[in-house]
Amino acid sequence: MAAYIIRRLLGMIPTLFVITVIVFLLMHAMPGNAFEALVFNPKIKNAAEVYKRLVAENGLNQSLPVQYIHWINNLIHGNLGISSSLNMPVSEAIGTYLPNTLILAITAEIIILVISLPIGLYQANKVNGKLDVSTSFVAIFLYSIPGFVFALVLIFLFSFLEKWLPSSGTVTPGIATSGSLGDRLTHLILPALSLALPSMAYYTRLTRSNTLSVIVADFVRTARAKGLRRPRVMFRHVLRNAIIPIVTQFGFDIGGLFGGAVLIEQIFTWPGMGELSFNATINRDYPLILGTTLLFAVMVLIGNLIADILLAISDPRVRYD
Amino acid sequence: MDSQVVQGQVGKATASVAKSKSPFRLSMERFFHNPLAVAGLIILVLIIFITLFPQVFTHYNPSTPDIMNTDSPPTSLHPLGTDASGYDNLARLLYGGRVDLTVAFAAAFMTMFLGTLYGGISGFFGGWVDNLMMRFVDVMLNFPFIILVLVMESILNIASEWMLVLIVGITAWPGPARLIRGLFLQLREQDYVIGARTIGASRWRIMFRHMLPNSMSFIIVLVSFQVAGYVGIDAALSYLGLGVPLSVPSWGGILSTTTDYLTMTTEPYAWLPPTIMIVLTILSVNFIGDGLRDAFDPQSQA
Repeated sequence: MAAYIIRRLLGMIPTLFVITVIVFLLMHAMPGNAFEALVFNPKIKNAAEVYKRLVAENGLNQSLPVQYIHWINNLIHGNLGISSSLNMPVSEAIGTYLPNTLILAITAEIIILVISLPIGLYQANKVNGKLDVSTSFVAIFLYSIPGFVFALVLIFLFSFLEKWLPSSGTVTPGIATSGSLGDRLTHLILPALSLALPSMAYYTRLTRSNTLSVIVADFVRTARAKGLRRPRVMFRHVLRNAIIPIVTQFGFDIGGLFGGAVLIEQIFTWPGMGELSFNATINRDYPLILGTTLLFAVMVLIGNLIADILLAISDPRVRYD
Repeated sequence: MDSQVVQGQVGKATASVAKSKSPFRLSMERFFHNPLAVAGLIILVLIIFITLFPQVFTHYNPSTPDIMNTDSPPTSLHPLGTDASGYDNLARLLYGGRVDLTVAFAAAFMTMFLGTLYGGISGFFGGWVDNLMMRFVDVMLNFPFIILVLVMESILNIASEWMLVLIVGITAWPGPARLIRGLFLQLREQDYVIGARTIGASRWRIMFRHMLPNSMSFIIVLVSFQVAGYVGIDAALSYLGLGVPLSVPSWGGILSTTTDYLTMTTEPYAWLPPTIMIVLTILSVNFIGDGLRDAFDPQSQA
C-alpha cells in the first residue's frame, strides 16, 4: 500500500510539470504585466525608471525558459516567490487563504453526504413509491439550478428579506463576537449550501441507482433468506457494494469542489483560493498565478489518489498494479 | 416474432410483416410516451420561439433606453419595468435569451465535436496513444475552469458571444473526451468491429462508419446534458462580467446588475424573470436529456 501511494505520488510529477509549463506560457501570453500600471501613475515622478527597475528585480526581462528554470529551481528549494500584488511570499498568501477554502469545501462535502446518502437509500428501498418519484423530480429540479443562481436566491431569502445570515466574508468585523465560532458558522452556511446543492441532487441519484442495481443481486436475496434483518442486509451487504462508485465520485469531487468554489467565493466575497487566484490573474501576479494553479492541480491529483485508495479499501477485489 | 424472422430469411416477407420498426423509431416512441420529457420539449421549443421572435412580445429595442421612464415599476407600457438607464426589462429578458441559448447550443456542439474526435481516436487506438492522450486530458481537467476562461479572454481580448463559444469549447472538451474514450474502448471489442477489421476496412472507416453511428445515442444524451450545463455556465460567466459585454443583453448579465441589496429587495420584477428563465431552460433540457437516456437505453432506469 505504501509503495503504491509513493509510486502514485511520483507519477504526479510529470503531470504537474506539464501543467506548470502550460500555465507559465499562458500567463505570459496575457497582455500586460504586474508593473505596467505604474507607468500611468501620475504620482510617481520617474515612473519609467521605477518600472524598469521592478521588471529587472523580478526577472521579467529575462527569456521565458530562463524565468521558468528559475521558478522551478526556487520551487525545489521550497520557495514559491513573492507575490507582487500582495507584497508577501506566495506561500504565506496561500497559507492565509487555503484554510478558508478547505473549511468551505469540507463543509459542503459533509452536507452532500449527510443529506444525499440517506435520501438515496430510502428512495431505493421504496422504489417507485410516492416519495421516490416526487423526490426524483425534486432532484432533477435542484440539479437544474446553477450554483450561483441558488446562491443569489439564498442571499435574497436569508440575508436580504430576513436578516438571519450574513451574505459576505468569513467574520463580522467590529462586533464583540467577531471571529467566534458561532459568527464563523453563520458566515459558512450560505456559501457551503450553494456549493453543495448541485452535487447533492447528483449524489442522491447516484446512491439510488447504485443501491437499486445491488439490491436485486443474488447474495442480497440469500442474506434475506438466511433470515437476516433488513437493516443489517441494507448496511452490511447492499451499502458496502453500492458505495463503491460513490466513493470514486467523492474523490474526483474533492478537486472539482475546489474549482467550483471560485464562483461561489466571488459571490460571497469569501477570502479563499478561488478569490486569490482570480485576483492574481487579473493583477498579472505571475508567482501567485503559478503557486495557486500548482496547488489546485495538486488538490485534484490528490483527490484522484484518495478516490483510488478509498476504492481499494471499500472493494477488496481491486488490486494495485 | 419467429415467423417474421423465418419469412425475412427466405425473402417472402409480406408488406405487413416485414415492416418492423427501427431501433431509433422505437426509442423515439418511448421518448414521446414520457410525459416529463415531452413537457420539457414543449417548454424548450416555446423558449426558443420567444427568443427567436421577441418582436412579437415587445416592441421595445433592448438597446434603446426610454429616458422618460427610468427605473419604472411594471406598467402597461413596460410590463416588467425599466432599469436605472431606462432599458425595458422585458425586451432585455427576451433578447437576452438569444445569447444564452446560442452560446449553450454552439458550445455544446463544439465540445462534443472536439471531445468525440479526441476521445474516439484515443479509445480506438488504445495502447500508448491512448495513454499519452489521456495524460493530456488529465492535465486539462486540472485547471480551474473559471481561471482558464479568464486567461483565455485576456489573451484573445474580444468579448462577444462567439468568443465565449470558442472559449468554453476549448476549455470544456476534456470531460466528454474521457467519456467517449471509455465508450470506444468498449465498442472496439464488439464483434462487428472485429468483423469489419477482418474484411480489411480502414481504421477511419471503422471509426466513422461503424463505431460512431453506434455511439450516437450516447452522444445525443451527452449533448443534451452539456446544453443544460452550458446555459448555467454561460449565465455564471456573464454574471461575473466574463461573458458578453453588459451592453449586449443576456440573462446572466441582467442578474449581475439587479442583484445588489436595493434592487433585489425592491424590484423583484427585474431579477426574478431572468432567474426563472435560466432555471426553466436548464430544467426542460434536463428532462429532455433524461427522457432521451431512458428511451435509448431502457435498462438504465436511474
